[in-house]
Amino acid sequence: MKISQLVILLIAFTGTAGLAQVPAPGAPQSQPILLTGGTVHVGNGEVIENAAVAFDKGKITWVGKASEVNQDTVSYEVIEVEGKHVYPGFILPNTDIGLKEIGAVRATVDNNETGALNPNVRALISYNTDSELIPTIRFNGILLAQVAPQGSMVPGTSSIVHLDAWNWEDAAVVEDDAMHLNWPGRFTADFDFTTFTVNRKLNEEYTPQVRMLEELFADAAAYHQLGEPQITNLKLEAMKGLFEGSKALFIHSDEPREIIESVNFAQQHGVKRIVLVSGTGVNLVKDFIKEKSIPVIVSNLHVLPETTDDDVDMPYKLPYLLSQEGILVGLGYEADMNAGARNLPFIAGTAAAYGLDKEAALQLITANNAKIMGIEDQAGTLEEGKRAILFVSAGDALDMRSNQVDMAFVDGRQITLPAMQQRLFEKYEKKYSQEGDAKME
Amino acid sequence: MKKLCTVFLCLLLHSWVWAQENIYPVNGVRDNRLGIYLFTNATIFQDYQTRLDKASLLIKDGVVEAVGTNLEAPEGARVIDLQGKFIYPSLIDLYSNYGLSPVPETKPFSYGDKEQLERKTEGPYSTNDAIKSHYNAVEDFAVKDEEATLYREIGFGAVLTNKRDGLARGSSSLVTLSDEAPNKVVLIPQAAAHYSFDKGSSTQYYPISKMGFIALLRQTYLDAAWYQSAANQDYSDISLQAWNSLQDLPQIFDAPGWLQMLRADKLGDEFGKQYILCGSGDEYQRLEEIKATQAPLIVPVNFPAPFDVNDPYDAQDIDLEEMMHWELAPTNLSHLAEEGLEFTITSNGLKDKKEFWPNLRKAIQHGLSEEAALKALTYTPARLLRAENQLGSLNKGVAANFLVTSGNIFEKDAVIYENWIQGKPFVLADREASNLEGVYTLTVGDQSYSMEVSGQPGKHQFALAKDTTDTKINATVQGDMVTLTFAPDSQNNELVRLSGWVEGKNLKGKGQQPDGSWIPWTATYQKALSPSPESASPQESEPASTEELADILYPFLPFGNPQLPQAKTYLIKNATVWTNEAEGIIENTDVLVRDGKIAQVGNNLSDNNAEVIDGSGKHLTSGIIDEHSHIALSSVNDVATSSSMVRMKDVVDPVDIDIYRQLSGGVTASQLLHGSANPIGGQSAIVKLRWGAAPEDMLIEGADEFIKFALGENVKRSSNENSVRYPQTRMGVEQVYMDAFTQAKAYDETWKNYNALSAKEKGKAVAPRRDLALEALAEIINKERFVTCHSYVQSEINMMMHVAEHFGFNINTFTHILEGYKVADKMAAHGVGGSTFADWWAYKFEVRYAIPYNATLMNMAGVTTAINSDDAEMARRLNQEAAKSVKYGGMTEEEAWKMVTLNPAKLLHLDDRMGSVKVGKDADLVLWSDHPLSIYAKVEKNMIDGSIYYDLEEDTKKREMIAQERARLVQKMQFAKENGAPTQAAAGKVKQRFHCEDLFFGKISE
Repeated sequence: MKISQLVILLIAFTGTAGLAQVPAPGAPQSQPILLTGGTVHVGNGEVIENAAVAFDKGKITWVGKASEVNQDTVSYEVIEVEGKHVYPGFILPNTDIGLKEIGAVRATVDNNETGALNPNVRALISYNTDSELIPTIRFNGILLAQVAPQGSMVPGTSSIVHLDAWNWEDAAVVEDDAMHLNWPGRFTADFDFTTFTVNRKLNEEYTPQVRMLEELFADAAAYHQLGEPQITNLKLEAMKGLFEGSKALFIHSDEPREIIESVNFAQQHGVKRIVLVSGTGVNLVKDFIKEKSIPVIVSNLHVLPETTDDDVDMPYKLPYLLSQEGILVGLGYEADMNAGARNLPFIAGTAAAYGLDKEAALQLITANNAKIMGIEDQAGTLEEGKRAILFVSAGDALDMRSNQVDMAFVDGRQITLPAMQQRLFEKYEKKYSQEGDAKME
Repeated sequence: MKKLCTVFLCLLLHSWVWAQENIYPVNGVRDNRLGIYLFTNATIFQDYQTRLDKASLLIKDGVVEAVGTNLEAPEGARVIDLQGKFIYPSLIDLYSNYGLSPVPETKPFSYGDKEQLERKTEGPYSTNDAIKSHYNAVEDFAVKDEEATLYREIGFGAVLTNKRDGLARGSSSLVTLSDEAPNKVVLIPQAAAHYSFDKGSSTQYYPISKMGFIALLRQTYLDAAWYQSAANQDYSDISLQAWNSLQDLPQIFDAPGWLQMLRADKLGDEFGKQYILCGSGDEYQRLEEIKATQAPLIVPVNFPAPFDVNDPYDAQDIDLEEMMHWELAPTNLSHLAEEGLEFTITSNGLKDKKEFWPNLRKAIQHGLSEEAALKALTYTPARLLRAENQLGSLNKGVAANFLVTSGNIFEKDAVIYENWIQGKPFVLADREASNLEGVYTLTVGDQSYSMEVSGQPGKHQFALAKDTTDTKINATVQGDMVTLTFAPDSQNNELVRLSGWVEGKNLKGKGQQPDGSWIPWTATYQKALSPSPESASPQESEPASTEELADILYPFLPFGNPQLPQAKTYLIKNATVWTNEAEGIIENTDVLVRDGKIAQVGNNLSDNNAEVIDGSGKHLTSGIIDEHSHIALSSVNDVATSSSMVRMKDVVDPVDIDIYRQLSGGVTASQLLHGSANPIGGQSAIVKLRWGAAPEDMLIEGADEFIKFALGENVKRSSNENSVRYPQTRMGVEQVYMDAFTQAKAYDETWKNYNALSAKEKGKAVAPRRDLALEALAEIINKERFVTCHSYVQSEINMMMHVAEHFGFNINTFTHILEGYKVADKMAAHGVGGSTFADWWAYKFEVRYAIPYNATLMNMAGVTTAINSDDAEMARRLNQEAAKSVKYGGMTEEEAWKMVTLNPAKLLHLDDRMGSVKVGKDADLVLWSDHPLSIYAKVEKNMIDGSIYYDLEEDTKKREMIAQERARLVQKMQFAKENGAPTQAAAGKVKQRFHCEDLFFGKISE
């Protein structure tokens, strides 16, 4: 093989390889940056017109009216964002992005470990920073995520990551932030293949299942009392943080009675931080939730009402209904097709269409999600001292009609937004415009 | 075979003579009795409408000899005085499986299993195991006294028995419920032919869907005709032979639910059959259409139990329509009678046959006349089986099947004493029992109590009357002997046990105290029992006419309407109108709607008759058209590799709440597609979302015919490791099409040649066999049917276009088409459209390179591009999905909007009347609160053909009504429960929703 051939081959190879790879993470912030002239959505309900945001060494250093910038900005990279909107990076809780690449291809699915009780199973180490899905959700403004295991009653422990990293270690924002508990249902839905109908029936396993959880939590609490256990029990060890408050318990339940039962259960066992992940079922017990001061992550809004009687806009207006009660509400995008989570901004927009003020809707996926996930000191709003995780959109980022993310930063590092999908678009756009040109000639 | 049957039948008609013939061997001394009885002084219902008082009935050898008021006892007759008693013809149940072998239990269908592609039945039977027309009930029948007892106890004397297995279920037998030899009890060996939409024990792969069941029955009708024609030279099929032999009998179709009844009737119409339809008791929900079938009905009285609504949280899971049905089900029979429908009542479906009479009486309380009830249980079933000369009355010559009752059988406390079948008495209660009804002074030792005896002789209830409550006495009366047990002190359960006898009007005897000591007792008659209002439960005593009842809604769902919306003249003023025409988006514009059409578009329009709708600050568009939907269907997938014979039009289900929800999202029309389980799927139904319409009225009149094809992972069964069905690769998929269209072309030529013959020549020629699958494919070749093809990757898209071109047609639409952007230039050249998702990807391997720029790129290359849902949830925000192309690829807003309106209309060949705001087009219009591509836009009004089917304000009112109705029904159920009604758990229902591929329940697998 001649050298020239080899070169050509190498070029061709790197070219193809480039297509199949996600972009490299952005370089560390080398100089202070000032975004100026845009509308700043702080994330806590506040909006500042003609505003400026400054950040340095990965941290936000100043936020305010552009006219009031009184620092010497000579050393700054000043980016004019007039007419545009600056947002804190959106936060996606309760997702299996990075754990599941292609749902139908089993070899690419790492989200669901076998066994009913897996408190010790850790999502973080399975989180694949090279997932092709990640650039697609960043593209719409989502820059942080809680990567959570799925499936069994206690599927394991999630971690909070940012979405621009070389590996899971670099990505981790909070390692092992929460244990997840899929509370069993008193009723189960069975698909009957003989009649092709779904039958809802009493879950005969409910009592034994709850007893199994009772045993687990009681034993974990007892184990927690021990200073130095003789033999480490990995499962009980993993639960220690629940009683100390270093680890939250995310209870997943969408049935009113089960919600009451599970929250009481967790409190009785001394769990310090409880979060409820729920759908419309929570609406019936919102006073209970308020009384117990339990924050709620609404699992998704792009779902149908539960019963035929339900208002047609029932899931859409749920964040409003809960917020009205004074409950701390966050928003997730739970769906079998996890790639759909890139639409998280738009379900926040839906919450705005159905009752919430636009900034309050934005708050669901910024300040509120941050607070619920325990990272409000680091992220969730554009405030001095927080990590510079933010983006600029040409228009209202909660509306697909105007969501155009021009630039995004993670810890001050400007990240590469276009990826495989954009490259494919360019490739074929070029093909058809050339063909169009050829025809014109 | 038929001749033989007739001979057999003649023999059986004279069967009651056999008792006197010494055919049966006996072990012992022959003991033939005379068997002549004269019943006198009774009130006799000679038939359902002829009541004779003080009349007599003479029977001999199991047959009615005479009925009248002045009958003389012939020599040898036993005379039975029935003073005060009533005689009715015994009841007949046309829906039974009495005495037959059980349906074999088979493993339920699962998509993970190896497919059983061939039949399992050995021998020259039907090629499909679900066709069991060769089943002959009489050969399977055995007298089973335990089963018969359950029927006899509630007054039935004869049943029509058929095994509920298969789509074609062969024949049934009319049998009596006597315990005599089967030779005697079989009245008509082959009485009727039976069909259903349930494949039964067949585990053969095809068919699994409701439309597949219909298709297989249709093909079997055609094959049966072909089988006995000259075209069939040497093909033997016992099932088809039997099918043909049963065609002159009454044809009974088991079709639970009015929707299935309408489908069965439509099937019957196609082949000139009027079925007797066996329903499920919900006919009142669609009475007009049921009446139009002109079918006699077999209807159950298995009214649903109230739900257990104790827990308000759990009760939330019960859908309102289930509560409404609980309340209205007992009114069903009176609705049928009022409308003059011919029906018979079955005891089938009751968990406990003892509920039969209480439920029937409930129906009578709700307005069914006693005469209509008796007719439905005696005359009508006999007539439907052409057996009026054998059963159903007490006319001379019919079987001596009759009931002796305490009085009017429809009254609450009526007792059936005896059920005589073919002249043989089956005693249910003691007719001779003394009438002990009255108030007594019961003296036990030095204690005395007031005792009340109520109810009919033979079924008396005893109780101690105390100040406020009654203490029940456990009583057994046998002849004149009486045993009573009771606890005088309700605080402890110490029992006093008494034994004694009737003496005159009083009772007396001896008994044992709790301590074991013996004491004498007496019960002295004081007076007759005064009728107490408490004896009837409050619910039952409430006259039905004053009872508040739920409205019948169309559809029978919350948010349904008591009356269908009507088209009016509407004038929408000052709206921003998205015309989708050359005018583009025009502000401050008026649109006038008249006679269901867009009459005028312009400024300052007026019409005195018009209802004015203020559109200022709002946007008016044509309705959204969903090119790919699976709502409002009873099934989605059948599984034959080529399923072109199945028709989604057969299984449209208008009772789907998702219709309303999609109206609230601006959808006005949808193509209801078959799923993607097979390369050649079923035929489409194109509907407008006319909320509340009957299934046939949902269909768009005169729309072109479409069919679904599918490529890729689903059709090669990638998710099933055990699959053996051809094809397993994309290579095989191409060959499926090549084969199918090669066959279809030859088929088409055969028929074209035949149809070209003159009438005279046709008389001599033999018509070719009709094949429904090939017929649909031939239509594609002839450009009378158009293909919507589910597809993902570029290689298969390219292949499909080549196959089509090879056979001289074009693919109309590629649906999903997520890699359409890679071959968009070829698609444009072929002339095929693309109907895609905005941003779905990564759920399976073939969508790994799906990009949200697909729609923009296809549009750019000149492909007519649409955005579809394939998802009941997403369909209600297709406007937002269209908007994503503005974000991804920078499509103009007007172009984006066309992707959910005008472009799908083009793809469905409906753009001449839908898809834009243009004078003369259908008034399918949506008024939006905001820019329609915005996340903040809401639908305020949705109009189809000039009728408003969704209105935001009306919706608010409906919500209030729903809340009120729920509250009322919950109270009523609670009340029923407290009055002792057994309840059912509040398990609620879960709606089965379909994606293109419903093969993996609960997962998106598009």
